[in-house]
Amino acid sequence: MAPTMNRLHPLSAVTYALQYGFLWLWIPVVLLIVLAGAFDPISGAWVPFAAPFGFLAGVAYGIAYYYRFGYEVTDDTVDVSSGVFARRSREIPYGRIQNVDIRQGVLQRLLDLAIVSIETAGGGASEATLNFVSEAEATRLQREIRRRTAAARERRRAGKAGAEAAGVDTESENESKNENEADDTASDADADSSSTPAPTDASRQPDSRERRDQRDRDQGQPDERDQREQDDLWDHPLESGSGSDLESDPESSLGSEPSPDTDRACAPDSESAAEVGSEAGHDRIGPQPADAVDNNAYDTVDEFDDGAGFDEHDDGDEFDEFGQPQKQPLFDLQARELLLYSFTSIRAAAVAGVLFVFFLGTDLVFDYLVTVAQPVGGPEDLGTGTPTNYGILTIVSLINGIVITYVLSVAYTFATYYDFRLGRVDEDFVYERGLLQRYSGSIPAEKVQSVTVTDNPLQRLIGYAGLWVETAGYGPESNGGSQSAVPLAEKARVYTFTENLTGVETPKFEQLPKLARRRYLARYSIIAGVIVAIAFGITQVTVLERWYLAAVVFVAVPPAAHLRYVNLGYYVGEDHLVVRRGFWKRQTTVIPYYRIQTVSTRRSIFQRRLGLASLVIDTASSRTMVRGTPTIYDEELGDARDVHGECRERLQTALRERAESDDLGVSVDFT
Amino acid sequence: MESLHPRIRLLWIAQAAILAIILGIVLAAIDPWLLEIPTAAQVGVVVVGIALGLAYAVRLYQVWQFELQPDALYLERGVITFVETAVPFVRVQHVDTQFGPIERALGLSSVVVYTAGSRNADVRIPGLTPDRARELQDTLRDLAVESEADDAV
Repeated sequence: MAPTMNRLHPLSAVTYALQYGFLWLWIPVVLLIVLAGAFDPISGAWVPFAAPFGFLAGVAYGIAYYYRFGYEVTDDTVDVSSGVFARRSREIPYGRIQNVDIRQGVLQRLLDLAIVSIETAGGGASEATLNFVSEAEATRLQREIRRRTAAARERRRAGKAGAEAAGVDTESENESKNENEADDTASDADADSSSTPAPTDASRQPDSRERRDQRDRDQGQPDERDQREQDDLWDHPLESGSGSDLESDPESSLGSEPSPDTDRACAPDSESAAEVGSEAGHDRIGPQPADAVDNNAYDTVDEFDDGAGFDEHDDGDEFDEFGQPQKQPLFDLQARELLLYSFTSIRAAAVAGVLFVFFLGTDLVFDYLVTVAQPVGGPEDLGTGTPTNYGILTIVSLINGIVITYVLSVAYTFATYYDFRLGRVDEDFVYERGLLQRYSGSIPAEKVQSVTVTDNPLQRLIGYAGLWVETAGYGPESNGGSQSAVPLAEKARVYTFTENLTGVETPKFEQLPKLARRRYLARYSIIAGVIVAIAFGITQVTVLERWYLAAVVFVAVPPAAHLRYVNLGYYVGEDHLVVRRGFWKRQTTVIPYYRIQTVSTRRSIFQRRLGLASLVIDTASSRTMVRGTPTIYDEELGDARDVHGECRERLQTALRERAESDDLGVSVDFT
Repeated sequence: MESLHPRIRLLWIAQAAILAIILGIVLAAIDPWLLEIPTAAQVGVVVVGIALGLAYAVRLYQVWQFELQPDALYLERGVITFVETAVPFVRVQHVDTQFGPIERALGLSSVVVYTAGSRNADVRIPGLTPDRARELQDTLRDLAVESEADDAV
C-alpha cells in the first residue's frame, strides 16, 4: 500500500474485528463437527476450545483488514486497496463513476460515521465501499469526487473540441482503411456491408445513395447467394407494403411537424435514419423530399415484394399533432392482439404454478386425476389396476397437466398484459399494463442497449411478433433487463417499429454454413441416444419392457437440427448488427455497434475440428438470465473473425460519430 | 502477443492439486458411511485429478496470450473452448491488480479488467510479475481515461 493512502475511521477496526470474530468462530466449530463424524481421532468435544480460537483469529484478521485497507483520491482515479492474504488494488477513473452514495444507519449517525459507496455502470455490487469513514470525510470525498469528475469531463470536452479539426483527417484515413478491407473480403455481401462507415451528416447523403444503388445492382444479379438472402429478409412479403403504406399514412405527416421534441429525438439519428430512409419521422432531415427517400430505400425490397401489402395499419390515433411535454401514447395493445398474445404464449410462471400446486396438494391432485381418468378406463384407485389402466391414467394426467398449464398461462398473460399502453414522456418510454394490478414503469431511451423481436412458432404461423427493448441497469434500485415495448403486433408493424426505433436498415440475413447443421444433427443424435439409454435403464428396474420404442426420438433429430439451423442468421449492417437465433422462442436482436461492450470468438473442441466459431457480442443489457447473450453460432472461422474485427472497428467509428452529435441512439417516436 | 509468466503453471497445478485432494478427503469421508470405496480408488482419483490438472495447466499456458492493440485489449485463451476476446479500452470501467495467497508465494499477480457488460464482464489476466501487473494496470487506466465515451451505459 502506498504510504499516502488514507485509512478508514479507527472505529471500523473495532467493527471489522467483531464481525470477523463472530464469523470465524463458526469455522472451527463446523469443521470439527464434520470431521469428527468422518475421522475417529477427532472429537466433537473439542468445540469449546476451538470456538474461542476461531474468534481470536477472526479478531486478528479484522484488525489486519483495517490496517491493510487504503483509499486515495488521485488526479485521474479513485484508488482502493484491500485484502490481507489476497490483495486487490483497484483504480476507478472519474469518467466511469456514476454516483457516490453516502449511507448512515442509526448507530453510525450517533457516532458521526458514514458508509461511502462508489458505483460505476454495470455489475451488481458497488465497485468500492468505504465502511466506515467519518461523516466529514464522507462529505469531503463526495464533493472531491464530484469536483474531479466534473473536471475530467471538462478536460474531455476541451480535448474533443480541439480534436474536432483534426478529426476530419482521422476519418478519411479510417475510410480508406475500411475500403482496403472490403477488397479483401471475398463475398459481395461482405464487401457491401463493410465498404464505408456511415456518413456523418446530411451533406454526405448522395454518397450513401450511390452506395445503396450499387447494392441494388448487386442484388439484381441472379446470384444464388442473393436468392437465399432474399428469402431471409426480416420477413420479406410485408416490408415494402408497409413502406409504401407509410407514404399515405397519417403518421408520416409527423415528419413535417415542427415539434422541437421529436426533432431532438430524431435528428441525431440522421446518419442512419436518413440514409435508410427509415420510414416516417426521419425523412425531413435529408435535403430531398420524404417520398424520394422512401422510394429509394425501398427499391431494395421492392424486387422481392410478393405484393402482400399490409393495410390494417395502426390508425395513428395515439398521436398528438405536436410534441407536447406530457405523455404521448405510442402503442396500445388492442383486444385482438391481447387475446392472440395470451393464446400463443406459454409462461414459465404458469408451469411453475402448476408444479407448485402439485407439490402443495399432491393427494388432492391424485384424487382428481384418478377421478377424471376413471370414465375412460383409468384404475379404480391408485393402488389397484392393470398396466393398461395405469397407462391410460398417465396419458389422461399428462393431457390434464398440459391443458391446465395452458389455461393458467393464458389467464396469466391476459391479466399481465391487459390494457397494455406504451407512451413517451420526453425521452423516456413509459408503459402500464395489468388487469388486477396495474404495473407501470419507464424505460429511459438513452439506456436502451438493444432491441429484440421475438416470436414463437405459433406467432410466426399467424404472422405476429413482439418487440422488446433491453436496457442496462443504471442505479442501485433499477433493474436492467428486458422490457416489452410491443407485446404482440403484426410482424410487419413490429419490423417497421424496429427499424424506426433503431434506424437499422432492412436486414438481409446471412445463412450459416451447412456444416453447422451437420453439427446439430450430431448433437441431437447424441441427445436422442442418451434418451434411449435412459429408457433402457428404466426397463431394467421397472416392469416396462420395450425400451427400443424410445428410438422413435431419432425421427425428431433431422427436423430439429434443420429448424435450429434455419432459424439462425445474422446481418452486418451499417450501424447495427442483427443476430437471430432460436426456434421455440426466436429472437432477432438489433445491436447498435456503439453499445458493444466486448466481442469474443469462441471455439469448442468440436467446432475447431469443423473450422467453425461462435461470436459472442456482449452489451451491458444481457444480465438477465432469460435472454442469453447475443451469439452468432457456428459461423466459419474466417467469417466469424471478420465480423469480430468489423464490430470492433465500427464501435470506434460509431463512438467518434456520436461524440460529435448529441445522439440518443434510438428514436423515441417509433410507431 | 505476450505470454504469461511460466510460473503460472505452478499456480494452476497447485489449484488442481488442492481440488483433487479435497475430492480425496470427501471420498475418504463418505467411505465408511454411504458406500465402500477401496483405498486404491481413492488414491487413483487424486492422482488422476492431479495428472489432468498438470496437462491442463501446461496446455493452458501454451495457448494463453494477450496483447494491447490500438483500440482494445485482446486475449486468447482456453483449452476446451478457445476464446478470443477483445475488450475495447473505451469499455473499461475499472482495473484491478489482485493476488491470492498462492500467487503471492509464487511472486505473481493478476490484472482484472471490468466492463459494464454481462458476460465476460470481468476479464482476468493471470500470471504477471507484480511489476508488469502494475505497469499494465497503469497503461490500461490511462487508455481508459483517454478514451472516455459519452454514454456511461
